[in-house]
Amino acid sequence: MALLAACSAAFGLLWSGDATLWNIIWISVKTCVIALLLATPPAVIIGYAIASYRFPGRRILIWLAQAALALPTVLVGLLLYLLLSRQGPWGSLHWLFSQSGIIAGQVLIAIPVLLAFTIAAVQAADPRFAETAIAHGASSWRVMLTLLHEVRFGVMAALISGFGRVISEVGCAMMVGGNIAGETRTITTAIALETSKGDFAQGIALGIVLISIALVMNGALLLLQGDAQAARQGWK
Amino acid sequence: MNLMHTPNDTLLHIKRLRKCHGQSVLFDIPDLTLERGSAYVLTGVNGAGKSTLLRMLAGLEPAEASACVWLGQRLQLSPYPPQMRSAIVYVHQHPIMFSTSLEHNIGYGLRARGVAPALAAAQVEEAIAWAGVAHLRASNPATLSGGEKQRVALARAKVLAPKLLLLDEPSANLDGAAREQVIRLIPTLTLAGCSIVMACHDRDLIKLPGVLRLKLREGALELR
Repeated sequence: MALLAACSAAFGLLWSGDATLWNIIWISVKTCVIALLLATPPAVIIGYAIASYRFPGRRILIWLAQAALALPTVLVGLLLYLLLSRQGPWGSLHWLFSQSGIIAGQVLIAIPVLLAFTIAAVQAADPRFAETAIAHGASSWRVMLTLLHEVRFGVMAALISGFGRVISEVGCAMMVGGNIAGETRTITTAIALETSKGDFAQGIALGIVLISIALVMNGALLLLQGDAQAARQGWK
Repeated sequence: MNLMHTPNDTLLHIKRLRKCHGQSVLFDIPDLTLERGSAYVLTGVNGAGKSTLLRMLAGLEPAEASACVWLGQRLQLSPYPPQMRSAIVYVHQHPIMFSTSLEHNIGYGLRARGVAPALAAAQVEEAIAWAGVAHLRASNPATLSGGEKQRVALARAKVLAPKLLLLDEPSANLDGAAREQVIRLIPTLTLAGCSIVMACHDRDLIKLPGVLRLKLREGALELR
């Protein structure tokens, strides 16, 4: 019954437009979107290069990118904490316990996901796409844009998985952000805090929001992938 | 023979073009000469290296040659020279269509060359009419049949007015009207001054008037 009561209180909070609650959601979404905007272009370009070109150490890079998928986010948090703390090499940035610090952590967490998915998507592409582009005189840059356009559903999946990973992580945001109310309190750090205080209603409300975001993002991907499948079936 | 003094009608002359897989030599061609505005069929049994040879000429496979003269100019084949890249187009046996519109596919190389949009659009229209694919304009290029894709691919290549067109089995896996439509297009390309090398087994292509026959056999190239 306590759970039911907490759930109904959670919906009450969401509908009432509770300012604290919506501020937490805003901070989460804002930091995630900025982190992805920063991480996606370099990760996709590097992922394309790793998948398309042969160079020494290429397989080691693929191995590292895939291994980094399993990297605990608290470890990224610890590393950033050491770098950003007052005595650390990047201490002068004053990013510790700020949204910039959270964004930096999310960039580091998103990059392996974006890289690994992009590498897989580009490697799975029909080699005739790149060859046709090259044989018709496309520059290296145009060949890349053409190929990324052909594997856009895979790149989209990379983006959505990256978003899922950064919006749901708690360890790094807690350590680098510090869970400061109104500043660096994100959905996940707030859930951890409210649960430890025994205030389940706000935790559940934030959980509902987190799940809703995941449902909307993945629903959009499913719709897009459905289109891609229809196009392929037509092609056969 | 001094390579710098090839006759004016020579398009491409390569000396000692080799392809090796480890220790084994796929082919070792002492002299490969292609004339301007000529059509060649490249025959040979499966595995003789026909596709590999075309792909080397197109710069899609690393090539090893002792000398290469393109339009009287001595060039290195590796890295592939831009003069050849801009004048040679290769078409796959099963051409692939970019997931864009028909016009966008045909105009791909023109955009890559920075041709002004209005001029490119006019050239694309001309190529669409030449290949007889105007009725496919509203179709998704990925859903076209094999013969339709081959014609769109020929239009995509022709629009660039290449000096050399490399076609890998252009009529393979096509039959009936689709095959005839493709075969009909090929002589019109040489009339426009384009040299063609086609890897093929198709007797109707081999018998086209004026077509010279190159045969890859046991690692050597014979002109018949």
